[in-house]
Amino acid sequence: MASDKELSDFLKSVEKRAFKRAAYAVRDDDAALDIVQDSMIRLAEKYIDRPAAELPLLFQRILSNATMDWFRRQKVRNAHVRNFSDFESTDEDGDFNILEALEALDGSSRTESAADSVSRAQILLIIEQEVSQLPGRQREAFVLRYWEELDVAETAQVMGCSEGSVKTHCSRAVHALAKALKAKGIAP
Amino acid sequence: MKNSNITLNASGREAREARFAYRIAARLNQRADALDGDISERLRFAREKALECARSARTAESRSVVGINASGGALLGGSTGWWVKLASVLPLLALAAGLLLIQHMHQTAQISVAAEIDAELLADDLPPAAYSDAGFVEFLKTPRE
Repeated sequence: MASDKELSDFLKSVEKRAFKRAAYAVRDDDAALDIVQDSMIRLAEKYIDRPAAELPLLFQRILSNATMDWFRRQKVRNAHVRNFSDFESTDEDGDFNILEALEALDGSSRTESAADSVSRAQILLIIEQEVSQLPGRQREAFVLRYWEELDVAETAQVMGCSEGSVKTHCSRAVHALAKALKAKGIAP
Repeated sequence: MKNSNITLNASGREAREARFAYRIAARLNQRADALDGDISERLRFAREKALECARSARTAESRSVVGINASGGALLGGSTGWWVKLASVLPLLALAAGLLLIQHMHQTAQISVAAEIDAELLADDLPPAAYSDAGFVEFLKTPRE
């Protein structure tokens, strides 16, 4: 059973990323805060008897479900018009080369000049905007896999899909981000 | 040979993608760390509320365990886990067994009362008025199998 301190430390470590993840999905800070608070309370009430090691995966699942619930409620209220089912993107990457993007971002003079022309805060903002503009499933896979650092199996479990789908979503997300950032001359 | 090259290429591509993705994730962390003070405060409030809920849930759970231990679990040495679950089920089993026993006793009593009435009726003399009853006469005329 997770102690108060373990739960507190865990929530503290995850709360900002959780807020961002929810905000990327619902595009509303207040709603995102509500979703995170509901998820925290649900975790604390229902799963407090679980070991601390299980909390990260449980919390991510709860957060995903809470976000889905929010969309369902919005759909019922007809207050939010968004094509939520449009998770699958058309693969517009073509023959885009990730290696080329990486090399361009690895300290070349072009990268330096891009970094000089835009302030650091603005670069971070643009990176965040590009992530938030990814198709829903790609963004979720990317955030869970690389930001929350879940492995492929855990990500698949949270997303309720196969491991192969997770890999595909992640790969597409990375290529889309690399392409978008390169077009703006931004090095992550 | 060709297959091993393909595998190497795929793993190399995945490694490059992962490297790029983790670099993006690091930038996202920087953005998240620089969250608005108001949002950070509301997140802190949410966290504290969740911790309060956790404490309440723990208190409620420990009360129920103490209750079980006081009523039955203590007899089993106060051990937790399966014994506690078993102890919580025992009263229900006892109640169900008691209800079945009561139903069985009730049925037995009803049967013995009915048997006594039947025995008295069969052993008693037939009243003369019975022969004036049309239904009884018809009964007597009916051939027995």
